[in-house]
Amino acid sequence: MIRAENLSFTYPNGLQALKDISFHIKKGEFAAIIGRNGSGKTTLLKHFNGLLKPTSGRLLIAGLDTARARTAELARKVGFLFQNPDHQIFLPTVAQEIAFGPRNLGLKGREIERRVAEAAAQVGLTEYLDASPWKLGKGLRQRVALASVLAMGPDILVLDEPTTGQDYRQAREIMAITKALHRKGHTIILVTHDMELVARYAEKALVLGGGRLLLQGPLTEVFSRDDVLAEAGLLPPAVLRLTAPYRKAGLIPGVLTPEDLFREVCTILRGEDHAARILPA
Amino acid sequence: MPPASFLHNLHPLTKVVWSLAVVTAAFFLQGPLPLLLLWASVLAVAGAGKVLRQVLPALKGLALLAGLFFLFQVFLIREGNTVFTLFPAKGIGQVTDVGLYACTVLALRMLAMTSTIPVLLATTNPKDMVVAFVEKLKVPYLYAFMLVTSLRFIPILQEQLDLVLQAQRARGRDLEGRNFIKRVKAVVPLALPLLLVSIRRSRTLAISLETRGFGSGPRTHLRPLAFRPADIAATAACLLLAFLVILL
Repeated sequence: MIRAENLSFTYPNGLQALKDISFHIKKGEFAAIIGRNGSGKTTLLKHFNGLLKPTSGRLLIAGLDTARARTAELARKVGFLFQNPDHQIFLPTVAQEIAFGPRNLGLKGREIERRVAEAAAQVGLTEYLDASPWKLGKGLRQRVALASVLAMGPDILVLDEPTTGQDYRQAREIMAITKALHRKGHTIILVTHDMELVARYAEKALVLGGGRLLLQGPLTEVFSRDDVLAEAGLLPPAVLRLTAPYRKAGLIPGVLTPEDLFREVCTILRGEDHAARILPA
Repeated sequence: MPPASFLHNLHPLTKVVWSLAVVTAAFFLQGPLPLLLLWASVLAVAGAGKVLRQVLPALKGLALLAGLFFLFQVFLIREGNTVFTLFPAKGIGQVTDVGLYACTVLALRMLAMTSTIPVLLATTNPKDMVVAFVEKLKVPYLYAFMLVTSLRFIPILQEQLDLVLQAQRARGRDLEGRNFIKRVKAVVPLALPLLLVSIRRSRTLAISLETRGFGSGPRTHLRPLAFRPADIAATAACLLLAFLVILL
């Protein structure tokens, strides 16, 4: 679905932001791109929508070479949800805002209505269609932005720090919507430095550091490489740090979330005396 | 700041006086040659202040502007003898000797007047300029602060515009079209979010100013500026020269 081949990018001022990056994200995968600020995450993202073109190597998205594809073509394949929804909202109602993208694709009448209704339903905005997006709270505005991207019908969804500036409940809501979209078959790329978020939702991770792809693979594998993560300036999620000694001693297999850990501990303690008294249920 | 020269060390107001003196002289000088000399004097000051290379791009732009100004005006003056006609068949595009002379004077005057600005900016720290205006000319600090803040907001706006551009492109808004009407239409999805984000940002700025006690009492400055003998001499010289030009 998304294939980078020896992609490098140097800014006009001489700063080399990406160095020889190759990866492959398959259709329907939930991949996280992680790395600290300045690691090249944003630069890589800007390649996904054709805003930047590789200085060498190439990036293929659903068979399209981003260096040659037009913005509108790419927008049909890749939907972007940016950090700040306010950078895109400009129409008086939520419905019009969602319809903006499909209109740009040249769609008309009924098809637009259908797409708006569908996108709004997917993010739970149906009751707000006639409201002014500016009067909604930040969490809802974020969902308006997501719906306006979904209405374009992209297979791939790129979420750039979708939970920053949101409270816990809003963050969970947007991630629940993302998860549902993933289950429906969307390929999801989550860009974040929130490791707990990655552990809970992603399947694989790409670790960027200093413009290089330091590591890629399934989460349990990536999170067990403390050395590489440290080089990238990242800390594994708390659960992984907590269980690291037990994992190394072979007592607990790789777990990613507190729920996983709870289940594992239950299994291990089953049969032990007093286990029922220590653990609820 | 790049290598300091005596020009950098002069009081900002002295340099403003110089700039105003050049403007005054430019208004009173009539021939192309005196105006050319005046412009040369501005360049000489820039050279003495070691900023000639630095202000060169700005000067080029100003020269281009003066050139355009010349081109627009030269066809509008019909008095005098026709030197040549652009489209003889249709009789449009007449250029007369009076027109050529008058427009050369106008263009040079504009060039001499505006060339002081880049020199002024290149040799003066904007903060010092504000302090000078507030302290010596009693401009309310609020206005001076507003001016400086709005200038400082330009790069931030640029950054925000970049993000807006990205967000709208991701929604299939094609901004690469050459068609003029399409381009104008494409401005709305960019301008509105930018405006709203800026308003939000300025509110935040207002709050953070208040929390730090903006306007709560008399202000002091980190680098007090003194009006030194060199400033008095330079100011006097500028005024004297301007007077001489007016009298002649």
